[in-house]
Amino acid sequence: MGGIVRSYSEGDPVGPLVKEMTQEAINLFEGSAGQSGPSQFTDEEAARETLGTSGTVASGRMSISFALEMMRRHFGSSVFNHTGMVDLRFLRPVRPGDTITFSGEVAGTSLEANGQRVNVKIQVQNQRGDTTAVGMGSTIVPNAFLPAEE
Amino acid sequence: MAEVDNRVPLDWDALEVGEVFEKFEYVLTQDMINEYRRGVMDPEAAFPTISHKVDVRQFNAKYSDNGSVNARCAFHCYNSPVPGKRLIVTAWVADKYLRRGKNYIVTEATSVDEDGRLIDRVITHELKQPWEVGKKWEG
Repeated sequence: MGGIVRSYSEGDPVGPLVKEMTQEAINLFEGSAGQSGPSQFTDEEAARETLGTSGTVASGRMSISFALEMMRRHFGSSVFNHTGMVDLRFLRPVRPGDTITFSGEVAGTSLEANGQRVNVKIQVQNQRGDTTAVGMGSTIVPNAFLPAEE
Repeated sequence: MAEVDNRVPLDWDALEVGEVFEKFEYVLTQDMINEYRRGVMDPEAAFPTISHKVDVRQFNAKYSDNGSVNARCAFHCYNSPVPGKRLIVTAWVADKYLRRGKNYIVTEATSVDEDGRLIDRVITHELKQPWEVGKKWEG
């Protein structure tokens, strides 16, 4: 997927991206790094001991992965995978069975030496409307992917 | 035979911001990438490195504590990693702070591959009293 030539303005929507969280997805995420032992993410007893919760929770890094996906889909992989970033604060847990929706809005743009930085406000909500994470993302869109100046 | 735990009990007050950990190296395999992509339900996901939690790996190898909860995380993309390449991770303690009576530690790490390509940078704020949020979440 290449870069997309377009302009960016404050208020432009980014996303949404919807994910259905399952214990299987959490186990795959943790297992992909060779984490095979019980943890608060994969084992109810470990979650009870470490967090005092009645069940497992998803790592905040899964939410980071989803936010990266939303941003990459919007800006294109040739741009976002080289200059992109996301920064999330985690407010509530994401649990197996949750449906989480990532949405974004362009918060502003600024000139950089190698293009235009686009800042995006990011919000994550579960199926009950609770906000599970908030934060920002950004990427530097190279001049080649911006409309020619008039 | 039980493994000996040689880790140092974490003393938050004594922990030095700027402490750099021993480099950590691993090979990112295609199988790891495939499993990560299935986990995040994204066949084009380009940064499976995030699931390796490399910013806290060396911290956790050195210090023992009561666990943690990820309070905030930032991830910067530079070049997607190539399967089969060795990744070299440098991690350090970037900050620590006390907020509302709770202790936080900020770790940061950069990953570079065996050819010198900068892959990513990750910064994580961990709350070191995980049961505090557990109580709130269950309440």
